[in-house]
Amino acid sequence: MTKITINGRVVEADPKKPLIQACHENGADVPMYCYHPGLTPVGSCRICQVEVQQGTAPGRVVVACRTPVVEGMVVDTESPKAHEVRRECLEFLLKNHPLDCPICDKAGECDLQDYAFAEGQGEGRSNEPRRKLDKRKSLGDVIVLDEERCILCSRCVRFMEEIPKTPQLAVADLGSRSVIATFMDRPLSGNYQGNLADVCPVGALTLKQFRFQARVWNLKKTLSTCGECSRGCAITVEVLRGKDVKRFRPRYEPAVNQWWMCDTGRFSSERHNAIERVVPAARRVEDLLRICSVDEALAQAAETLLAHSGAVCLASPFMTVEEGKAFGALCKSLGATPAFVSPPPSGLQDSLLNTGDPCPNRRGLAELGFEAVSVADARARIAGASVSVLAGERVIELCDRAMLATMTATRIVTFDTHALEGAAAMVCVGIPEQVEKIGHWVNVDGHVGKLSMARPVPLGIEPLTRTLASLTSLLATSGASSR
Amino acid sequence: MSQYPTYLLDRAKLPDAHTFAVATKHGAYEALRKVLKEGITPAQIIQVVKDSGLRGRGGAGFPTGMKWGFMPDPAKDTRPRYLALNADESEPGTCKDRVLMEMDPHGFLEGCLVAAYAIRAQAIYIYVRGEYRAPYNRVAAAVEDARKAGLVGKKILGSDFSCEVWMHKGAGAYICGEETGLMESLEGKRGHPRPKPPFPAMFGLWGQPTTVNNVETVFNAPFIVLRGAEWFKSMGTKTSTGNLLVGVSGHVNRPGVYELPFGVTCREILDDVCGGMWKHKKLKGFLPGGSSTGVLPASFIDTPMEHDAIKATGSMLGTAAMIVMDEDTCMVRAHEIIARFYEHESCGQCSQCREGTQWLHQIFHRIEIGQGKREDIDMLVTLSRGMAPGKTICALSDAAAIPTLAAVAHYRGEFEDHVAKGCCPFLPAGVKRPSFAGAH
Amino acid sequence: MALPARLVAEFNELLTHYPHKQAALIPALHRCQEELGGWISPQTMEDCAAFLGLEPVEVYGVASFYPMFRMRPPGKHVVSVCHNISCALRGADDLLAQVCEITGAQPHHTSADGRFTVATVECQGACANAPMFDLDGVYHEDLTPEKVVKILGSVK
Repeated sequence: MTKITINGRVVEADPKKPLIQACHENGADVPMYCYHPGLTPVGSCRICQVEVQQGTAPGRVVVACRTPVVEGMVVDTESPKAHEVRRECLEFLLKNHPLDCPICDKAGECDLQDYAFAEGQGEGRSNEPRRKLDKRKSLGDVIVLDEERCILCSRCVRFMEEIPKTPQLAVADLGSRSVIATFMDRPLSGNYQGNLADVCPVGALTLKQFRFQARVWNLKKTLSTCGECSRGCAITVEVLRGKDVKRFRPRYEPAVNQWWMCDTGRFSSERHNAIERVVPAARRVEDLLRICSVDEALAQAAETLLAHSGAVCLASPFMTVEEGKAFGALCKSLGATPAFVSPPPSGLQDSLLNTGDPCPNRRGLAELGFEAVSVADARARIAGASVSVLAGERVIELCDRAMLATMTATRIVTFDTHALEGAAAMVCVGIPEQVEKIGHWVNVDGHVGKLSMARPVPLGIEPLTRTLASLTSLLATSGASSR
Repeated sequence: MSQYPTYLLDRAKLPDAHTFAVATKHGAYEALRKVLKEGITPAQIIQVVKDSGLRGRGGAGFPTGMKWGFMPDPAKDTRPRYLALNADESEPGTCKDRVLMEMDPHGFLEGCLVAAYAIRAQAIYIYVRGEYRAPYNRVAAAVEDARKAGLVGKKILGSDFSCEVWMHKGAGAYICGEETGLMESLEGKRGHPRPKPPFPAMFGLWGQPTTVNNVETVFNAPFIVLRGAEWFKSMGTKTSTGNLLVGVSGHVNRPGVYELPFGVTCREILDDVCGGMWKHKKLKGFLPGGSSTGVLPASFIDTPMEHDAIKATGSMLGTAAMIVMDEDTCMVRAHEIIARFYEHESCGQCSQCREGTQWLHQIFHRIEIGQGKREDIDMLVTLSRGMAPGKTICALSDAAAIPTLAAVAHYRGEFEDHVAKGCCPFLPAGVKRPSFAGAH
Repeated sequence: MALPARLVAEFNELLTHYPHKQAALIPALHRCQEELGGWISPQTMEDCAAFLGLEPVEVYGVASFYPMFRMRPPGKHVVSVCHNISCALRGADDLLAQVCEITGAQPHHTSADGRFTVATVECQGACANAPMFDLDGVYHEDLTPEKVVKILGSVK
């Protein structure tokens, strides 16, 4: 490590990283457009100007993203000279940038807007007509390009080249005629397109899925973990007014996903906005499943489980470590082997993030002693048992909802967000979704990913850890009294 | 007209000097033979070039020997190393390298080989602007002739010096005349100049040690090797030694490329060398060294054509491409054209340059067609200051800002006239200038 | 479609000049433009990309950067009129107007009969011999209205 001074404070900086990184790590807010810590620095936008003094030479204003860290250098990120150059630079960047902010999805999290505001030049001096370009150019299913908003930072081009390593974008033409383009306007492909909207510092590349969905300042962001594969990418869950999940976005996690996530994970946010949930629970009354309280449902579940021996217990691979412990205790009280349904690989495996294993907590459950059971095996076990307990998010779906609905000779108690149909369904206890609970998953490499409450649980639904524990103790007390 | 000693164009003026037979009969490759036969070391060549005071002829005037000296010690750094020849001459007004390549390609090639020997390059890439088909073909033919004569390739003239020479064609981008833009272009990429550091001597073509030299620069080297540093210093001035090619264009009677020692005054060039002003008009001003050097009014005509004296006027020597403008020239229009050039040629990487070159062009254009406002004139100045100096990756932004600042400084009255009259005062009433602005 | 065999042979030789394949791209595009219709077609870009192990979009980014590479098919003959400062001072505006009149093509367009494309270019390095144009790769310098009539009149 190298000792340098940033804004009067002596700090240790990594000489292998550019100066801007040291500034950011030490609380100095240096603006950036072309620089992205995950991409090769090119030093082209010229906004990250800071004043640097080395030795006896007078201070120079330099771009921090292309300046190496050198022992003893004295950096002033707030010097009047640095601010002056940044202000000039912004004026050039804003010259052709449309005044779209009121209708731009990026507004509120736009680096151009933020730094223009911070540097304090409210008024443009340009009398010239702004560049007229394509304002809604489709780049495939995921991304739409607004050429007028683009500031040609080339982050998107470098992202495609360096991260998924499938170059699909280029800066075409030159000078003031430059535009971002695909070859012959071909649509983008691959599972990482969504990241383009994240790396774009302005509103040039936006997600079709998020277009005109929400103003970003109305979104409540909660740190969480993606569940679409065993990578468990760190994400933020962004919820509008306590209801709809509007976005999953990757969050920097050096040990797991850096700054990125795949589109499968990103767009899985939509599944959390389904409305047909079982709230809070349902139980079989004669031939019909009727809504009831959780206590009533659990009482009936205990009754069913005590009336029939040899219960099969199957967990969802989405179960958290904490839920797994509660489920393990239930299994023990029923004399069952804890197991989780392990669906086949998704076919989405790539060399970047997606593991192709759709079980976000495979490792966590395995460490708790859970057996992995194939979908076919799971179904056979359920069909062959007199009673089964299926617990955890998506467990019904993974075992094949329609197939379960055809079973008649067995009884099934479920803990899932959705109710089970068919004659076998005895009790359905509603549970929180992954965006509504606190817990942990252990990813493929043993990294522990955290789930947090991004939105409130529907009224009456209790955490799975609690309902499973309640059932276990009910079984103990009722079992003891009946014995 | 005074007589000055010449050497650069002596052979070029002979009939068929571009052929191997004529060139070798008149001294081509003598310096290379001397170096290889007498075992003159690369260090000795670098020293004599340093002693000669030779400065780069590509516009920046950097000492050539020093540049060669930046190449890492081959004993410690065994990576492959390259010499790239910058024959991408593209700045308006500059047309001198073309003469050397077309008229004396063997002299040029010998210069390349001597330079390559000095920096121990194993390959030379000659990057010729794409439009220069005739010069390209002449040099390419010279390379083939030289190869047959054992002057290019493995073990040149039986010595231990091996050097390949490859021709490479540019494709019309001015920015590829910037040394790092040239290297990117040579690697088959967009010609985006690279941020420095790292410098080419450490991280050049394909990341290897590389020197980029101008055509006329290396052309001087064989003469220095043969005749010595003292001889070279006997021409020119103390800080600008030797002769240089002065290309004169615009309103003079005899535009052309002339060999002159540094220090000849611009008046001498205009009156004696070029036969005075075209059509007996009066001189209004001139750009001393190409479109990126600031305009100087007629009162500066006695300035000697050498680095320090021109710098003292606030302008630059550049490539000594003197563009002469007579009394009927509209300075706003002239600079609108220059601004258009830089907008057209900006690579588009840096914000200031991409947007600024367009902005300057737009303002010049509006003032020229009579739609300018008073504050536009000051805008030209503040925008130029936002674009330079040293605010961008390369100097193209500076090259657009410098002539703008000079034009406003020396001819503000003309700009104000345009604004006040709402038209170009140099056009007869009712006549409109044909405008192709934006028609790229 | 792939590149014609003669170009492939040429390009294979070209590859020996450089330590990395991509360096051959610009010279290869020049040859393609000369041999394959006077412009860089999407097919050419795909073929060159395949030959050099690049993605077509990378070739597109490079080809579109260089003004000499035409991204649209030109007319039978291309006249590139220099119109920067040195030529402008010696009458490039008039020259351009005359060229447009004779050829019937507007700047950056092709004449209705498809015979001529007229382009304006920013300096071709013939400043001391202004005004000038390049006709199908050959410089014509020190032009006068009479010379222009003669040169363009003799074009087939």
